[in-house]
Amino acid sequence: MLRWDRTAPLLSAALAVALAVLPVRATDDETTRALSALKSVTKEGKGNEDAGPAWKTLVSKGGAALMPALEAFDDTNPTATNWLRAAVDAIAEKETTAGHKLPVEKLEAFAKDTKHAPSARRVAYELLVSQDATAKDRLLPGFLNDKSADLRRDAVARELGAIEKAARPSLRADLEKLFAYARDKDQVDLIAKKIGETGGAASVSEHFGFVTHAAVVGPFDSTGGKGFATAYPPEAARDASGTFKGKGGAEVKWVTADTTDKYGKFDLNRIVPKGAAQDRYTDAVAYALAVVVAEAETPCEIRVASATAVQIFLNGKKLFEREEYHHGDALDANIGRGVLKKGENVIVLKVCQNSQDQEWARVWSFQMRVCDETGGPLPLKQKITADNKDKIVPLGYIPDAPATKEEKK
Amino acid sequence: MTRFILTVTLALTLALGLRAADWAQFKGPNASGVSPEKDLPVEWSKDKGHKWKSPLPARGVSSPVVYGDRVYVTCSSGVRDDRLHVVCFDANTGKQLWHRQLQATGGTAAHPKSCMAAPTPVADDSGVYALFATGDLAAFDADGTLRWYRSLVGDYPTVTNQVGMASSPVLVKDRLIVPMDNAGESFIAAVDTKYGKNVWKAERPREINWVTPLVRTVGTATEVLFDGPSGLTAYDAGSGEQRWVSKLTKGSIPTGVLDGDTLYVPTAGVTAFKLGAKGPEGAPVMKADKLQTGMPSPLVYLGKVYSTNGRGLVSCAEVKTGKLLYKEGLKGAFSASPVAGDGKVYLLNETGTCTVIDGKADTFEILASNDLGGETLGTPAIANGRIYIRTDKALYAIGK
Repeated sequence: MLRWDRTAPLLSAALAVALAVLPVRATDDETTRALSALKSVTKEGKGNEDAGPAWKTLVSKGGAALMPALEAFDDTNPTATNWLRAAVDAIAEKETTAGHKLPVEKLEAFAKDTKHAPSARRVAYELLVSQDATAKDRLLPGFLNDKSADLRRDAVARELGAIEKAARPSLRADLEKLFAYARDKDQVDLIAKKIGETGGAASVSEHFGFVTHAAVVGPFDSTGGKGFATAYPPEAARDASGTFKGKGGAEVKWVTADTTDKYGKFDLNRIVPKGAAQDRYTDAVAYALAVVVAEAETPCEIRVASATAVQIFLNGKKLFEREEYHHGDALDANIGRGVLKKGENVIVLKVCQNSQDQEWARVWSFQMRVCDETGGPLPLKQKITADNKDKIVPLGYIPDAPATKEEKK
Repeated sequence: MTRFILTVTLALTLALGLRAADWAQFKGPNASGVSPEKDLPVEWSKDKGHKWKSPLPARGVSSPVVYGDRVYVTCSSGVRDDRLHVVCFDANTGKQLWHRQLQATGGTAAHPKSCMAAPTPVADDSGVYALFATGDLAAFDADGTLRWYRSLVGDYPTVTNQVGMASSPVLVKDRLIVPMDNAGESFIAAVDTKYGKNVWKAERPREINWVTPLVRTVGTATEVLFDGPSGLTAYDAGSGEQRWVSKLTKGSIPTGVLDGDTLYVPTAGVTAFKLGAKGPEGAPVMKADKLQTGMPSPLVYLGKVYSTNGRGLVSCAEVKTGKLLYKEGLKGAFSASPVAGDGKVYLLNETGTCTVIDGKADTFEILASNDLGGETLGTPAIANGRIYIRTDKALYAIGK
């Protein structure tokens, strides 16, 4: 038989534990519900009525909600991610203003865990560094091959500094290794230049995976901009064969073109055959066809730069389109996401030109590359035709380049 | 004339629910560029003459906006320019009160001079509404609470302008007017300020356009006037219904000025029309065809109309006649629009030099030339007896 005087303290302690636990449990539920509401927002503000109060609830939880909010980035849409992004800012701001230390161990573990969303890991890393500046040197070496473009960029920048400072005999090899990790054009160019200064050579074109050989056909009519929405036969082409009725009823056929530009630029005003009196095209459509060879089924991004409207097709399926003219031709501005099948894949790029007559609107060109989701090289080849013979070479292959991966092998 | 302009400005600000001293949107009260503030500063430098200076997290070409004791600024950063910042400062001390970041969900390509923080935010009693060139749109309460967020490119995926968008949102009572002219799905929309949902959305031509809408009251209706390459369109602020279209003006970069029932537009220099219920009535009432406009919007102040441009030219003409009073060259290009108050006109060039001229004089009278250094592309704000200027690195509150 239990004695009350001995049982009471035990019951009191149990009750105290229960009371202490219950609010925590309630908080967890509230946090879960808040995160769920934030992750439920969709288009045109749908879900905003619930998301606003949920955001407040989440932020009111303070530091306890920081890691759950970061984790919630993993499986949500870009709209919801921004609700979470702002909540993380508010929580961290509130905690630091209150003099509380952020959970540096958890943030570090989170930043290093590549299962989490790259954008969330970047946020965690920055919060960590705000609390512990030494974390940069500790973590960045591990981010050289990261899916987060920003973490990778910082890692490459730090490593480049370290390599140059060390000035080891292995400088060229170290730079070549680092070159493979670089993704941003400025860093790629800089490291390639430094490799050149050591007597080596790095192929920027191969690194980016530019298509350097294509079959081109055109012009087709795009008077009044109609060509963008008109599916001319080459759109479904599976090879560079056949002739077509082009602009003005003229017969047009495929011509092959190569570029030696290290950024893979093709000038359609030069490539597309035209009359002697004509030095440029207006109101026209051209198609460029490239054959890319994959050793296995490979998810890829087909990234295109062009000052004019484009559509990207992979094996007959449209992946992307943008109808915009002469507003710039930033690298990678147009991205089609798809999956390459094993063997030969046909990529068709439709490039439209409009009727603008300004000098700067004469540009009718494109760059196209095939890469992974980080913008990095994939083990792909391209089929080129030279001297009436088909040849398989790496993407980015430029015949007269000083040293290509092919040659290094 | 001064009294008339001040009266109109006051009436307009009251109509829009703003307090006289606030500079709540692009170019202040209804984009006039004119403040009723007094005792505004004349001289300053990077080391003196300012109440405070606070660092900014990143670059931006939007203007600071001031509402009560809050100053709001937007910035964008990152090698891809895909980090979007909204920062709130105490207007009197410069203390940073909060800083929120968003991840760009739209394209970030732009002319190198611009960036994703190009549209100017708009503020009211409740907080601030920040639109970015990426189509990301957010409403924050004054304490930094995120009230709502929209990804306009997520909603309308063809939205694109690789030169960079810069039209600024404006407020009409409880509706946020969002201009989104671009090379893809173009529209102007009113979203409710509480939840950010569309109240109405009007289709627009697929043309890029950097003009900011103006607001006017006609009888019992409130009109949103939106100029663009295809003409000037008036929308009913309540329903979004198109009330009239005029082809007399075709703007694309600078924003016009509405002064009472006269609309000054940067067409053929600066041209003024009387607006009736159905738009411009008759021939222009003023043509200042010798004014040379560029990216900056014109300014109408104390009976004169001013324009600045990318070659450092300052032009001034009489409002009554359009007669050119002077055209002077200053060092440096202008991107920021001229603003005025307290009888002074402030001309901020792109490299931090603000030339203050006498707005009462019919001749070009320089009162001071003040150098802050740094890049200054955003139009200054005038409030609390101060000029708020953002450089690429800092926000200055100039004055006492």
